[in-house]
Amino acid sequence: MEKSQYELCVEVLRRLDKAGVLKHIVLVGSWCLLFYKSYFASAKYAPILKTRDVDLLIPQPSAISVKTDVADLLKDLGFVIGFTGSRGYIRLEHPQLIVEFLVAEKGRPSDKPYPVPQLGVNAQPLRFLELLARDTITAKVKHLSVRLPHPAHFALHKLLILQRRGKPGKIEKDKDAAVRILEALGDKGERDFVKRVFNSLSSRWQNRIRRALADVDSKDLPSIFQ
Amino acid sequence: MNVLKGVLKEELDNSLRMKKNYERELARLPKGSLIKKKIKGHEYYYLVVREGGKVRFIYKGKVSQQQLQKYKQAKEYRAKYRKLLSEVKRQIKFLRSALRGKEPV
Repeated sequence: MEKSQYELCVEVLRRLDKAGVLKHIVLVGSWCLLFYKSYFASAKYAPILKTRDVDLLIPQPSAISVKTDVADLLKDLGFVIGFTGSRGYIRLEHPQLIVEFLVAEKGRPSDKPYPVPQLGVNAQPLRFLELLARDTITAKVKHLSVRLPHPAHFALHKLLILQRRGKPGKIEKDKDAAVRILEALGDKGERDFVKRVFNSLSSRWQNRIRRALADVDSKDLPSIFQ
Repeated sequence: MNVLKGVLKEELDNSLRMKKNYERELARLPKGSLIKKKIKGHEYYYLVVREGGKVRFIYKGKVSQQQLQKYKQAKEYRAKYRKLLSEVKRQIKFLRSALRGKEPV
């Protein structure tokens, strides 16, 4: 019997852990929403729609000292290599999951893939990802310790990239996820932390976030982002 | 509703791309299956392939353990990829009909 999507995701993480790679990775993307459930155990929080994409951020590719072929590591689970677009970002694809590697884009914007030879993959460089690697939290997924962005960073990052999202459906989905998380953080008593993170951002980034939240109907949120 | 439609559209694009990738991987696998025949006490291997609707036995003689392993692994991967490919095809069918909604076909 094929593994369920959740079991398959855990198996992927388990294999990365065994290969000594997981500690160098921060799980970002919609799967975080599911794993935040334990963080928000006492607060009002219901994860929304997640896709098949498991996005793995490598904050410091040069820090990975082990050498492993990730495609080979997951081959017997049925993952095949796929390339995105003409730029050649590697994705490991399975009908239940799509594993992608990301790095924070620094310097001039470029659409060239970022090679990570230690893992035998190309990562996709994206703007603002460095925010997700700050103050990470650790979630217990089965017996594994998985690094996730702090929910405050996750939500603010979603709002930051909102204007870069081309499709209206994605914009709505990201905004909804961000607002739900910010409200759950408020419910958990972490408003001040969110405020601190927001204040630590550059004024350009702060304005982007304010613009993204302009039409959100919430009594609480505007006061955080004054 | 837009959110859901956007997610479904994205997933459909992913599945279509995935279908191509599984088909590519299946085409890359060595064709046929190795079978063993015992003739006058000696073991010989034949490669069984289907060509133009006919089954052909291609004499291979004695083969190394490495080659045996290669064909065994190819057989396993072929079965796995075919199963996953049919799953992807089912997803495509489902996603297309979900996205079509009440619109005419």
